[in-house]
Amino acid sequence: MTSYFPLFLCALLFLSGCGNNPHPPPLHETRPDGTPWRVSYRGFPDDPRTLDPQVSYDTTGHAIISSIYESPLQYHPFKTDPYELMPCLLDEMPQRIKENGGRETYLFKLKKGLTFHDDPCFVASGGVGREVTAEDMAYVFKRIGDPKVECPILSTLQDYVVGLKEAYEEARKTGTFDYSKPMPGIEVIDRYSFRLRMIKPYPQILYWFAMPFTAPVPREAVEYYDGKIHKRVQREQFKFHPVGTGAFRLAEWRRKGLIRLARFDRYNATTFPTGGWPAADDVRFRPMAGKPIPFLDEIQLPIIRESIPAWLLFRQGYTDRSGVGKDIFNTVISMSQELTPEYRARGIELYKDPEPSTYFLIFNMEDPVVGKNRKLRQAISSAFDEELANSIFHNDTYLNAQQLLPPGVFGHQPKFQNPFKQHDLALARKLMIEAGYPEGRDARSGKQLELALDATVDDPESRQHAEFYRSQFETLGIKLKIVENTWSRQQEKFDTGHFQIIGYGWQADYPDPENFFFLFYSRNAAPQGNNYARYANPEFDGVFEQMRTMDDTPERLNLIYKLNDIITEDCPWVLEVHPVLFSLNQVWAPRVSSNPLLAGGSKYTNVDVELRNRKLLEWNRPILWPLWLALGAVVVAVGFGIRWNRRHDV
Amino acid sequence: MFNYFLRRLLYAVPVVFGVMLLTFVLFFMVQSPRMMAKRNLGPKATPQAVENWLHNRGYDKPLFFNTSPGKSWYDSLFFNHMRSLIMFDLGDSDSTGERVSTKFKKGAVPSLLITVPAFVLGLYLSLVTSLFLAFVRKSKLDVGGVIACVVLMSVPIMVYVIVGQWLIAVQLSWLPAFGFTPSGLTTAKFLMLPVLVYVCAGLGGDVRLFRAIFLEEVHQDYVRTAQAKGASHGRVLFVHVLKNGMIALITLVVASLPFLIMGSLVIENFFGIPGLGSLTLDATRTSDFAVMRASVYLGSLLYLFGLLLTDLCYASVDPRIRFK
Repeated sequence: MTSYFPLFLCALLFLSGCGNNPHPPPLHETRPDGTPWRVSYRGFPDDPRTLDPQVSYDTTGHAIISSIYESPLQYHPFKTDPYELMPCLLDEMPQRIKENGGRETYLFKLKKGLTFHDDPCFVASGGVGREVTAEDMAYVFKRIGDPKVECPILSTLQDYVVGLKEAYEEARKTGTFDYSKPMPGIEVIDRYSFRLRMIKPYPQILYWFAMPFTAPVPREAVEYYDGKIHKRVQREQFKFHPVGTGAFRLAEWRRKGLIRLARFDRYNATTFPTGGWPAADDVRFRPMAGKPIPFLDEIQLPIIRESIPAWLLFRQGYTDRSGVGKDIFNTVISMSQELTPEYRARGIELYKDPEPSTYFLIFNMEDPVVGKNRKLRQAISSAFDEELANSIFHNDTYLNAQQLLPPGVFGHQPKFQNPFKQHDLALARKLMIEAGYPEGRDARSGKQLELALDATVDDPESRQHAEFYRSQFETLGIKLKIVENTWSRQQEKFDTGHFQIIGYGWQADYPDPENFFFLFYSRNAAPQGNNYARYANPEFDGVFEQMRTMDDTPERLNLIYKLNDIITEDCPWVLEVHPVLFSLNQVWAPRVSSNPLLAGGSKYTNVDVELRNRKLLEWNRPILWPLWLALGAVVVAVGFGIRWNRRHDV
Repeated sequence: MFNYFLRRLLYAVPVVFGVMLLTFVLFFMVQSPRMMAKRNLGPKATPQAVENWLHNRGYDKPLFFNTSPGKSWYDSLFFNHMRSLIMFDLGDSDSTGERVSTKFKKGAVPSLLITVPAFVLGLYLSLVTSLFLAFVRKSKLDVGGVIACVVLMSVPIMVYVIVGQWLIAVQLSWLPAFGFTPSGLTTAKFLMLPVLVYVCAGLGGDVRLFRAIFLEEVHQDYVRTAQAKGASHGRVLFVHVLKNGMIALITLVVASLPFLIMGSLVIENFFGIPGLGSLTLDATRTSDFAVMRASVYLGSLLYLFGLLLTDLCYASVDPRIRFK
């Protein structure tokens, strides 16, 4: 029975040296000037699949890549309504030059003295990062055209950039991309300037220059990190060994464990903005205006895939930020959509940011029932109680969508009231009669109208959602059949069009109305494009073609309103919501940028290390008495057992 | 014994072949590579991007026979799949491009760091506790112990995880709720809570089972003989009963040994252990053909290995088995 004692002894020994701090030690304790080393800790949901800026197309990847790499342009950290681009690696915004024949070119000028991170791939300079030049930008576009790189925006850009499509097709034919050949779409003018030649006008191209796809990468790194064995040492692949120009470099990446970013000491591409922040934050941001960035020395991103441990770590103070998931929503957020007193007392800050995305159900416009009957579509849309859905599924936090464009996108009308999104049952019933289905029955045959909605039903919430849809259709007497699909089957149906009604959502690639209205442009119809509703309206197409290449002028605004009116009337959808993201920051790490499109905002953030250390001590004091109690209980039980056994002959 | 081993090994060959066929049907015929590509590239992927993805991974080849001019007839999905599994060439991950074998190697150590101590400690505690309950059999402590075991058995592992993290890490601040640092003794700090949870989750069932086995042994003739010779209760239990009870236990325990390498999905995900527990699930989530195929194949091989080990152990302690 004494065998329990060594175990408890071991436990005690370990406990004496343990604490509940989950982080590995930082790279340094103090800076060279003696001030504390500033580390930010943030839970990260998963390992990125790749850190190749020309390949990554997901939020997880972009969140890291945008700290390591920088693109010619970036979003302004404070300006979100409307969103605004500003130079990052460039000296100034690119010049748009209209040429004869309707063609356009853009002139880009890089800042001088920008360098890549130090890395062994720069063999000639002994590992010191070299200067970024216009040749690097030409190399980026060649990589975009290389089929082996698998750049996801190739199919978009090849329609606009001269020579990209031809280069891609030649490489597919020969099996290798010829990097020695110049690409006619990118003309290097001098060491720092280059010209981009367009096939046709596409002003939205500038937004792609604010995304990692166009971030310069050193050719030396791509060729050095080839995943092969050199002198008995296997080198990593380039996609796992980024060498960028960003404010941070990758210091460590343990898969499923930790991503550690360290400050790039020679970073000089940008400084803290000199304005643009909300007036209320002037006292906070004014002292930082124009200061060199980044403020942080290190960022530790532990990979936390489950929401419960992620929340526990934030609650303990071991991470600086947290989302507000469904599991914890009611614990943290009160009925009035504010922080509960417990968390307010901890000094935590709550932020609510509308995302540039819209969710809706789409009708298949090629379907003989819903596609050919506008009144029926309008009736269904009018009957939907979106406020009820918002309260059931989103804790009343999302915005009820009245139009396709989310807030912040040029052309969004804050006061617009969609006539078929007012949950007006009287109007819906009237429209049903006009559609030929009074009380949900076919006026000619008397048969109840039956429709089918395709959905990915794979968890209790999606099942609940499906039931909600059914109840909404029932208010009009329509019988709704839910067709349950796997994710793959659902995607197949999007492509083949074998559906009547299907759920869809669109998150903006860039905050331009073109990136939303093209979802209903007939030449963008599935499976080649994203017009899954197969909506085809020559009037809409004509206005869209006019609007897409214009600058943001009052004329463009009028065309956007016209597009909105056409599509509102045609109703190829049931608009649902614009999501709003709730997030929390600790008192020692208040948020700086409110722009959801600015993935690399870490360079502007800061932490108060001393305040954090004080709070951590206060919140995480070990309590040892239960250990002694447990030990005592075992001793008593063993004693009792021995005594009992001696007394009873069993 | 060698003949028995050989016979059992040969039985496994058709099973392995069946698994290879089944994985092909599942991964190339039921689920199309095109959908896999779409899943990997995201819903915004264009048909051109999908074609390119398939081409770069060789998934655009014919299913069974290649009739394209200049190509071998066996340069097809089926023959490439069978060849790679037979040669243990697990290929590259479809999603990240890493070598699948490297992924397995990297994940195996953290998984074993959790499962081996948990297995040893769990076995040790289960044996000690069940012997103790047998020692005080028919007492209130025994009844209480059995009730506690039933309660422990009935609680899902998720509850242990959540309560463990909340109590030990948050309320008592003894150990980290999450994390893993592979650096010597510091690693132990991150392993203790997951190991504790792992042990607690299995303790109830094991103690009940072991107690039943020991109680059965207690009524055997050799126990009465030992007692008649004057051996103490403790000696009878901890020497004679334990030794004989182990014969039944060994077969139960050995079967689970090969699976220690596969880790635990819930424990690893909730405690941030970068092991193999979530590998298959991640591969399913990200539609990573190569990793899924490899985990199903290796999982079935481990299962067969576990069965083989059990049979061999049983045959070695009970000669009647190998002569049947």
